[in-house]
Amino acid sequence: MRVLYRMIIGGAALALAGCSSLGGGGLGFGGYSLIRAKEVRVGNNSLAVTPPREWNRQSTILFDDISTVEDWTQNGPYLDTISFVTGMRDGKAVVRQRRRDDRQVPTFRSNMTAPEVASMIESLFRIRGGTVDFKTVSLMPRPFLGAAGFQQDFEHLDSDEVRRKGRAVGAVIDGRLYLILFDATASHYYGASLPDYEAIVRSARRV
Amino acid sequence: MGGGIAAASLTTGVAQARIRPNEMVPLIGPGYRAQDVDEKGMWQQMERVEEEISGSNLLIKDPALTRYLGDLIGRVGGPAARDMRIYLARIPEFNAVMFPTGFTVIFSGLLLRMRNEAQLAGVIAHESAHFLRKHQLRQWRDLKRKTDIFSILAMGAGVAGGAAGVYAGDLVRLAEFGTILSLLRYNRVLEAEADAMGVRLLAEAGYDPTEMSRTWAQLIGELDLSAKYRRKRRDRDFSIFSTHPNPEARMADLKISAAEAKQAGRSYDAFRDRYLSATANVRPTLLDDQVKLNDPGASQYVVNTLAKDGWNGMLRFHEGEIWRLRNLKGDELRAGQGYAAAVLYADAPADAWRWHGIMLMKAGRSAEAKLALARYLRMAPTAPDAAFVRQMVAG
Repeated sequence: MRVLYRMIIGGAALALAGCSSLGGGGLGFGGYSLIRAKEVRVGNNSLAVTPPREWNRQSTILFDDISTVEDWTQNGPYLDTISFVTGMRDGKAVVRQRRRDDRQVPTFRSNMTAPEVASMIESLFRIRGGTVDFKTVSLMPRPFLGAAGFQQDFEHLDSDEVRRKGRAVGAVIDGRLYLILFDATASHYYGASLPDYEAIVRSARRV
Repeated sequence: MGGGIAAASLTTGVAQARIRPNEMVPLIGPGYRAQDVDEKGMWQQMERVEEEISGSNLLIKDPALTRYLGDLIGRVGGPAARDMRIYLARIPEFNAVMFPTGFTVIFSGLLLRMRNEAQLAGVIAHESAHFLRKHQLRQWRDLKRKTDIFSILAMGAGVAGGAAGVYAGDLVRLAEFGTILSLLRYNRVLEAEADAMGVRLLAEAGYDPTEMSRTWAQLIGELDLSAKYRRKRRDRDFSIFSTHPNPEARMADLKISAAEAKQAGRSYDAFRDRYLSATANVRPTLLDDQVKLNDPGASQYVVNTLAKDGWNGMLRFHEGEIWRLRNLKGDELRAGQGYAAAVLYADAPADAWRWHGIMLMKAGRSAEAKLALARYLRMAPTAPDAAFVRQMVAG
């Protein structure tokens, strides 16, 4: 999940800057790979999407090792990200966390309704994204992957004082969570990549 | 016997460290300005910091509440009361910070946790005392001599950061460092001074000074419960700052000082009703901000502390929310019970009906669920999730 990525960059840039051997060189923030504008499998490969143009996949080695979660960005994680959750099982969280962390992103439960998933997403941003003010502006039914899913639109103000907007389209299918989440700065980047995101959501199919 | 000895030794320790309220005189008067080169440099930087903070998006800019807080610092700010400024930041942490030029940032999480005006005034008085006793300057000089890891942490917390030119302007980061750090960040003597002087300022303004030790009891209780939920020890949070006074000792000192500061024949009030009405508008948001952090121990402590003054629909609702977010085995049932209890109160928020309905639905009680959800839609017809809930009712 991108929000985690952003926190790590913001919070520990100094520590990581020394690790130039990690993530493919440079300042240690390498680890992007190119996604071509053709069908590609994401996460644990149980979902396939077709982006309308090239995107960048963020390395999961350094920041996350959850096989069902994958992040893409167009302009870097501060500005825009699309995250995929591909068939996450009951009892798992979208981010890696230690059991003893005081504040935990709620785990997914297979019997969760859409308002509960939406609330889980809110907690993700508040706990890991440095979000101070989070508003779900709309939660409505939306078919996804051939199932009865939902669409959540939200806005948030983060600790870096930047306002961001996001949309999540998801469904729980056979007790597993499928979700595509888009989050970007409210000014410019959200509008700029929303058409891409929508095309990606429409192209999504389980494989 | 053993307990008696322990208590006696604690008392002795307390008596040695404690500074008496009547020993505390302000070191500055009205209209105070920076004196020497060090202080002038620090002020210059701090003015920039204040400019940044005063324009922050994260401030809660409710005019009535801002006026109320301004009045409070005007009452307990001692001789510098008219020179002080106060900002309320929307950050769900139990914290407040005083800057060396006489402005303070109160975090919304502090406002949530205070049960009455005296408690809040006590924190503000304590912070004012840091200014009146020129603690930031004294601490900063001390840190400059040591330049150890603590100075770096303190700078990160923005305490002396402006002076060192490293203040990042990030209120939330400041709060993260600050929860433990800034309440304990000064050395033992400076904190004891601020406590003693805070008690004095509070009593002089007619507030019950014993509320200050109650605030400490609440902080300790919350940290304990939060740690217990994650199966760790609270004192781990304090041990890295072992050069600082331990919270139990401070609490005991504050109690003794409060008794000393009270004058016979004078009445002291906690001003609970005035506090509740001044913060009524923001309280639901503050509770929501806390509970959504999914720190069940801390949140439950906060809810239970506020409930000491009486349960209501808002508190019961958030009790349900704590369990729903914790989401361990059996928590769904607990959450459902919380929402069911909440909707029995006339002041239950619309959200309580929504979640009550969802939990009934999940428990297979579809007819009751639909009634609850319909009630939610009547209360909040334009709710962001109205379209989704309508589908649930129809389905």
